[in-house]
Order: sequence, then structure tokens, then C-alpha cells
Amino acid sequence: MPEVKKEIKIVNRLGMHARPAARLVQLTSRFSSEIIFKRGSDQVNGKSIMGVLMLAAPYGSTIKVIARGDDAAAAINEIEDLFRSKFGEE
Amino acid sequence: MKGLTVSQFYDSLRGKLELKLVAGEKGLKRKILISEINRPGLVLTGYVKFFANRRGQVLGKVEISYLRGLSPKLRKEKIHIFFQQKIPFCIIARNYIPPRELLSEADRIGIPIFRSPLVTTRLTNLCTIALEEMVAPSTSVIANLVEVYGVGVIINGQSGVGKSECTLSLVERGHRLVSDDYINVHLMEGTYLLGEGSELTRFHMEIRGLGIIDVRTLFGVGCVRQRKRIDLAVTLEPWDREKEYERLGLDEDYLSILGVEIPHIVLPVGPGRDLALLIEVAALNHRIKLMGYHSAQALDKQIKDRISQGRI
Repeated sequence: MPEVKKEIKIVNRLGMHARPAARLVQLTSRFSSEIIFKRGSDQVNGKSIMGVLMLAAPYGSTIKVIARGDDAAAAINEIEDLFRSKFGEE
Repeated sequence: MKGLTVSQFYDSLRGKLELKLVAGEKGLKRKILISEINRPGLVLTGYVKFFANRRGQVLGKVEISYLRGLSPKLRKEKIHIFFQQKIPFCIIARNYIPPRELLSEADRIGIPIFRSPLVTTRLTNLCTIALEEMVAPSTSVIANLVEVYGVGVIINGQSGVGKSECTLSLVERGHRLVSDDYINVHLMEGTYLLGEGSELTRFHMEIRGLGIIDVRTLFGVGCVRQRKRIDLAVTLEPWDREKEYERLGLDEDYLSILGVEIPHIVLPVGPGRDLALLIEVAALNHRIKLMGYHSAQALDKQIKDRISQGRI
């Protein structure tokens, strides 16, 4: 099963608060691949809003994204685009 | 109710206000357009400027004793001036005996005159409250109304989505049915909505496969309620995989009924979703918001605080 990993930096000033988290899980839920976010020793389900919120990732921090499944590469690309777009903030 | 007639007013309040029609029967077709009540007072002296003539008039001790003190000729004159204004009806409080001239003039022009044993203030208050409800703008909504933990919840959604089953489930858990599939909604004091069912089908429901059931008889009088203020609207809809449903609860959606904005939640229906439980939680969440605690905002604030502590 294809597995793609990528480290993505948080570039929106407010970090991963509720609204970006909601947009993120709306995106990840569209993929069939399993998606995991890692920050430090924490590892969470990338499709779970409570999981993503738990990371409390601030501006400038890095999240490691792991996608496993047929659409893993596409998922990683779109997740990266969303992070880069600052979740529509600013 | 648009264009309430004096006759309808009399029929529905004669018991409560202990009204007796004493003159002006031919004026029962007159319309009552506003709920306020007026004490004519100065108008009887001939001062008709600013006379609130569209209101129902209540004659108390002051008016009656003033009229009694006049000479018959003057009395007739003053009553004539009073009745020249288009007024819907008069009520004489404390069962005072009205002057003969008042009754004959009322009969001639066709202004209904009632007598009531109630004291003036109480009569005025009861009359205003009852009229307020009777002349309030109203509409009907095709939905269910249930009281859940004290919160009046409208449940709507297309036919067959499970509204009735969900309502029944709530009733079975001890909540109260107001109405199934039809709500008569009144705008109260221009600010809030009061819903009730139709008198004829009250507390009955139709459940597919079972037919018509009488909820009051089956579940008891504690499981029904005649009317309830509407606080929250829930729309049930078949789960649409393409659609994004609310995930946070930070943004509020509203449903406008008679110009009042009711907080609105869309609940997708899918296998394994216990709708009655979800509506109970929605009602509790609504209550706690009214008490000043917003779960989603509170958690978002905690997350933001944590993020700013960890800022690199």
C-alpha cells in the first residue's frame, strides 16, 4: 500500500485552532487513505477534529503528515496546499 | 388571526371575563385590529383629540360616575360624540349600570356594549393579554413540536425522513409532544413564537405501519403539552455524502418564522444515529448557551491559549 510522508509547516499566525482544524478534516475526510498527523510524540487521526485540535500546533511549528492508501500522494498534495493557503485566514 | 370580529372576541372570552352583551348587538361584526384597551375618560367630556378609538373601550367608575352626574341632555350629547368615533366595543366594569342613553345610542349605531363584574384594572389586563394572543400575527408550519428539557424544539424534514419516529422516541424518554406534522405559530409581543397543534388532532400522531395513535392516552398526560414557546429548530435530512455538515458549532444558523430568528441545526440522518439522543443533546446545548456557556467557543479559546503558549 502506498505510503507518503511529508513535514508541513504551519504558516497561519493563529495556528491550528478550531476553524482551520474543521477545514482540514473536511479535506482529509474526502480521501480513502488513512491520514495521520504527528507532532512531537503526539500522533492523531487526521480525519478527527478533536485529534487535530489536540495538537495545538502554533505558527511556525511543523506537523508530520503520513498518508497510507491509494490516494495518499494526492492527499498529501492537497493538505500541503491548504496549509500554504493559511486556511483562508489573513 | 386577521380581522378578529367582536363576535369572535365575545365567544371566546365571555366565560373568562364574565361578559354579558347588553346593547349594540348589530355591531358584533365590527373588527378588532389591535390588542390594547383604552379608558375613554376625557373623551366623554368632549375632548376627542388623540382618542385611541381603534381600541376596545373600558368604562370604569370614573366614566360611569361622570356620565351619571350630567343632565340627561348633556349626557346624550357627550355619548353621541363618544360614539361618533369608530370604536369596536365597550365593556362596563364592576357591573355598573350604564345610563339608558348609552344603551339606546349603542343600539342605534351598533356598538356592542358588554358588562362584566370584574374590577377595571383586572378587566383591562385580562382583556389585553387575551386580545394580544387573538390578534397576533400567526402562521402554520409543517413540522413537529416537542418540549425537550424545557426547550421548545421544532423538528422538520421531508416526509419519511423519520420525524415521527424521532418524536415518539423523545416522548418515550419523557419529553413532551405538542404537535405532530402541523404547528400553529403565533408571534407574541412581537418578539417570540408560541406554537400549538390543531385542536382537532391534538396529541395524535400517525406512525407508518401503525396508523393513528393517541399519545396522551398511551403515554399519559405528563407526556403532552398544549402549547410551547419555540426555541430551537432541527431539520432532519438524509445524509448527503457530498455535503459538508457543521463540525464545530461556532457558527449559528437561523430559521426565520414571522420575522423571529430561531437557532437552526441540520442533522443528517444515517444508520446508527440515535436522533432522539442527538436532539436531547442539541436541546441541552441550547440551554447551556442561554446560560452563557458556549462549548465550541470555550474549547476553541482553550486551544488558542495553548497555541499561544507554545508559540515558537
